[in-house]
Amino acid sequence: MHTKPGIAVSSGVAIGPAFVLGAEDFRIPQRFVSMGAVDAEIVRFRCAVENVCREIAENEKQASEQLGKQFGAIFAAHQQMARDPKLQGEVEALIRDKNYAPEFALSRVLGLYAQKLQNLGDLYKADRAIDLYDLEKRLLRHLLGERREELVHLTAPVIVLAHDLTPSETASLPRNYVLGFATEVGGYTSHTAILAGALEIPAVVGVGDIVANVSGGDLVILDGYHGRVIVDPDEETIAAYRDSEQRARSVAQRRVSFRSLVSETKDRARVWLMGNIEFPAEAQHCRDLGADGIGLYRTEFLYLESNREQSEDEHFEAYRKVVSAFPDQPVVIRTLDLGSDKMPATLSPFYPEGANPELGLRSIRLSLTDLTRFKTQLRAILRVALLGDVRVMFPLISSLIELRQAKSTLNDVMEDLEEQGIAFSRSIQVGMMVEVPSVPLLAEDFAREVDFFSIGTNDLIQYTLAVDRSNPAVAKFYNSADPAILKMIQMVVAAGRKHDVPVTVCGQMSSDPKFVPLLVGLGLRQLSVTPHVIPELKEVVRSLTIPQAESIAEQATKLELARDVETFLRGELNKLCPDLAT
Amino acid sequence: MTAQNPLSRDVTVMLENGLHMVPCSRIAELVREFPGTVSIRHDEKSVDAKSIFDLLTLRAPFGTILTLEASGQGAAHLVDGLAALFERNFEPE
Repeated sequence: MHTKPGIAVSSGVAIGPAFVLGAEDFRIPQRFVSMGAVDAEIVRFRCAVENVCREIAENEKQASEQLGKQFGAIFAAHQQMARDPKLQGEVEALIRDKNYAPEFALSRVLGLYAQKLQNLGDLYKADRAIDLYDLEKRLLRHLLGERREELVHLTAPVIVLAHDLTPSETASLPRNYVLGFATEVGGYTSHTAILAGALEIPAVVGVGDIVANVSGGDLVILDGYHGRVIVDPDEETIAAYRDSEQRARSVAQRRVSFRSLVSETKDRARVWLMGNIEFPAEAQHCRDLGADGIGLYRTEFLYLESNREQSEDEHFEAYRKVVSAFPDQPVVIRTLDLGSDKMPATLSPFYPEGANPELGLRSIRLSLTDLTRFKTQLRAILRVALLGDVRVMFPLISSLIELRQAKSTLNDVMEDLEEQGIAFSRSIQVGMMVEVPSVPLLAEDFAREVDFFSIGTNDLIQYTLAVDRSNPAVAKFYNSADPAILKMIQMVVAAGRKHDVPVTVCGQMSSDPKFVPLLVGLGLRQLSVTPHVIPELKEVVRSLTIPQAESIAEQATKLELARDVETFLRGELNKLCPDLAT
Repeated sequence: MTAQNPLSRDVTVMLENGLHMVPCSRIAELVREFPGTVSIRHDEKSVDAKSIFDLLTLRAPFGTILTLEASGQGAAHLVDGLAALFERNFEPE
């Protein structure tokens, strides 16, 4: 038995056999198919080719329009490669005559071509081989349906161990077979971690070397409460975990009763608990959990899921689903927060990563660079706003000029819709995220120009404390309890109060029960959180009084070290709700 | 199907970087729908012009003389079109 510590990102315990994913992008799941499946496999291969051609055509169009014809021509050449009759003939012959699986046949044939081209010498430099690799990856991705090949073929429940999982891979994990997952890299607030929480899959990230040290089938306990992966546990440990699994289940059942209760303190102060969502389907789930609305709808997942441009109607349809789950409560739609670790494959060729993508062209900056995409989204938001209490929010605003540009784009879109006679809501509330330290410093100036603030603690902490949130080597410096962060929150709340601008906290910080008394005490009355924690946070809110919360906040803000703040808050939570303290 | 003698014509590669990936793709695109056979010969090596992968193996730097060969219905028209592509140095019409 050995235990690997990591970062707990999604609570729950899972016990099961390990399923180890390789570090390389695409491994071929099976090399051969049965004789009877040959025709179906050939059809599958042809469909993949068709889909890839369509995808390349889209790239070609974008590249020609945005970069110039000569760049489009490269994709046109890729198109010819994908359609090459010789390639298709040879791959199909291998499937038919040798019963190779399409994936295996394809990589054999392309491998031979790449070798041939490399042997031709410097006339066609080795970079042709990269074009072939790109084509191979595209085809494999379509053959394997966007997921890692092995995951598609799961037939029994497992615990997935991987070097890393992308957000889209995490989103497409087959929920019925994946009991939990652990990754070697990643941090508390990486998007993969956020998704694991949303999907309610127990997960531990940042565990370091594990893929090479565990064999598939080894028994593993994944402890998503304490951030532990126990490989080959002894009987005693297994028994202890089975026991605590049982207890966790009974607490969860009791908490179900909180769903229908109003989220208010003992002295009847209302604290709105709203949900953070990535996918429209989560909205109904939030409603079932007793959420007071959607405080943060991360629309970029529309792109990350499908890997292609979204039309206005596709945006509209997704938003409509969310609004229909909450027709009378707020739905805050955040405009695209793409870039950095959330760059869809369709866009990445146009926006090369700088040395420091977190400080690069991301989020609102990307939207303001590519107004066509931004306006498409704003049109859909303005139209859907007729159906409920929809609000629009701009992410990563760092200066007044940026806010004004975003707002003036919104006005332009309103004028366009007006001219075209399309119905939309003119009275939509416009808010912004507080994620860059420049905003709390100038909070009063910003407060004069927005209808609401929402503090995104994940980025605010990263930028204030200069910590890359996904780097395990420095993750320990990333701390929501840092006095500098509390100070920033105070500044925003004060400015909001003065200018009558409501403030929400929507980062991971507000999903942690120990921070709830502090945040309420600091004056916050709206929290937007990971949906599955809503029942437990409601329990915390209902066990508090405002004077109690204010006293907790007063004491916490006097402490000098993040560590002391955390310890203090944990102790206070333990007094309020002993069940929840960890 | 009746066997015909292939039509053939010589062309010269005038591209500074030789017959690289993008021009090869133009050739494949142009001949794709042609129902007959069409090949390009460089010395003893002859490749299927419908396959970009085959075309890439031609090794045809600036100045290479290539022979276009086509047979089947519309072969003359096809060879004209291909030769024109080489003559305008693969620039769009």
